[in-house]
Amino acid sequence: MKKFRLYFEEQNRGPLTQLWQQFQRQHAAVFGLIMFSFFLLLTILAPVITPHNPYLQNPDLLLLAPSWSDQGLVQYPFGTDDLGRDLMSRLMKGATYTFGIALITVLGSLLMGLALGAMAGMSKGVKSSIFNHVLDLALTIPSLLLAIIIVAVLGPGLWNTTWAIMLALLPQFVHGIRNSIQDTLKQDYVAAYRLDGASNWQVLRYAVLPNIWEHLTVMATMALSTAILDIAALGFLGLGAQAPTSEWGVMIADALDLIYLAPWAIALPGVLVFAAVLSVNLVGDGLRTAMKKRREN
Amino acid sequence: MMLHYFLRRCFLIGFVFVALTILAFSLSYLFPGEVLTNISGLTDIKPEQRQSLIEYYALDQSLLQQYIAYLNRILDGEWGLSFSSQQPVLSEIVAVFPATIELASYALLLSFVLGIPLGLFAAVKADSFLGRLISGITLVAYSIPIFWWALLLIMLFSLTLAVLPTAGRISVLFDIPTTTGFMLPDIWLSDISYKSEATLDALRHLLLPAVVLATFPTTVMIRFTRDSMLAVLEQSYIKTARAKGLSRAQVLYHHGLRNALLPVIRQIGLQFSTLITLAMITEVIFSWPGIGQWLLDSIYQRNYPAIQGGLLVVSCLVIVVNMLTEILHTLFNPLARKA
Repeated sequence: MKKFRLYFEEQNRGPLTQLWQQFQRQHAAVFGLIMFSFFLLLTILAPVITPHNPYLQNPDLLLLAPSWSDQGLVQYPFGTDDLGRDLMSRLMKGATYTFGIALITVLGSLLMGLALGAMAGMSKGVKSSIFNHVLDLALTIPSLLLAIIIVAVLGPGLWNTTWAIMLALLPQFVHGIRNSIQDTLKQDYVAAYRLDGASNWQVLRYAVLPNIWEHLTVMATMALSTAILDIAALGFLGLGAQAPTSEWGVMIADALDLIYLAPWAIALPGVLVFAAVLSVNLVGDGLRTAMKKRREN
Repeated sequence: MMLHYFLRRCFLIGFVFVALTILAFSLSYLFPGEVLTNISGLTDIKPEQRQSLIEYYALDQSLLQQYIAYLNRILDGEWGLSFSSQQPVLSEIVAVFPATIELASYALLLSFVLGIPLGLFAAVKADSFLGRLISGITLVAYSIPIFWWALLLIMLFSLTLAVLPTAGRISVLFDIPTTTGFMLPDIWLSDISYKSEATLDALRHLLLPAVVLATFPTTVMIRFTRDSMLAVLEQSYIKTARAKGLSRAQVLYHHGLRNALLPVIRQIGLQFSTLITLAMITEVIFSWPGIGQWLLDSIYQRNYPAIQGGLLVVSCLVIVVNMLTEILHTLFNPLARKA
């Protein structure tokens, strides 16, 4: 490690610019970011840009092959399913469910985690120890089991299982946020700020939060990949989104009966789930590396 | 020092168990339907039975007394009856649970055998082509949805190539008497004449589910071993050891590996609940008669006493594994004992 650092002009940029500089040096991460933006756009625009109505059944075109085979039609690039619904439109609409709802889940869980983690991080003694034990309990219940219990109490449905996924993601957020808050509280600049007469809230708002948001982003990307996988898995098992909904996991489960006739109807939604998760993981990994390198410089 | 630590652990475990049973107990009230039906598992209760059942389950008393009665019943092994079969829930769990443990432990074993050496290799040769390749493949495998991965493997190995079976633990041709509930030990303990054929068939059934289930823990193991080894290799004591004249292999084994594997032990405990979730999904796809498939059947049939029992057993398993890995970690790492 260099002991003395001179402030050359190009080094002396804001933290965000430095982070971006480190990030764009990693090609895989930039590729992931492009894919991520693509899915984000698809999520927002899907209701407008689908070429056909994803729920419109066309009895004349049942199980049409994809357009690259001889029997396919160019108007239906990925063919149709056993009810004559356009597969491509369904896949596009599916982004809204699998990807969009995963985003909402992670945001909700992050906000709850931030509130609880701040409470746990700023408190000491018995209160924080009770908190830990309750969290340990939550960590021991596997997310699928939690979803099963919630489905048993509230009934199946996309939004009900969203609660299960939020609850399953919550402990890791609270643990992570609490640890990083406690690490930051040990820093000298926090002590200096306290000596200036800052209240707990001011310390949290102006000294702690600006220093942990990077960590928060990395945690959120990791949670997002888990959330996408969980939503798709619950849809596949029939606990989450229900049959006509074009959620990707549900689409795979629907196509299971056709595994001999139309293997592409299983392969395509899976490829999309995989690509979405991969893009999130690439971005997350890239961010983590960029953060590490920025701190080292 | 260690005694104090164990006592604190035990207290914590006790707390978690109490909280868990409170959750399971409250489910009888939260589930739809009548509390008496949910708690006993009897689907048709005759009017003349009702009063004695209410007294037996202490439903006419305060919630606290009901909870204590519930705890007593749990400890006595009376977990209610399953709605669908009207058999005791506990005996059903005992019948299906070994299959899950068997599958999960083979997958974990596979992930150790593959994950740790590959992770170490990727850390030591971080900049070589192979090291990058391992990291790349790990990232890809980490992103695959498990049910889709399972279906792809079934499509390839079972439907197209037709070399591996798709479902179950063993072909129905073989009649294996149940002694332990674990398939391979059962085959070896039994006195049948077709032992080797049965073993081979069981292994063929085991291969695909174990590979599918092992994918996630292996990638986690590789990533974690690699990151932890890279962090250890930057430490000053590694430089010191090198400067003292130890060979590269000696440094890696005595100073690198031992320190790098410590956080990996801990990670097993933390990832175990994810592993159980994945095992449940794998069981459904491969019709593996374990607790995951049993629990999912229970939710499709709205079999509330079964869900309650499943919650207790699965969570206890996760707690016990968590505790064991934590204790192992503390035993191996003197630094962790201070906390």
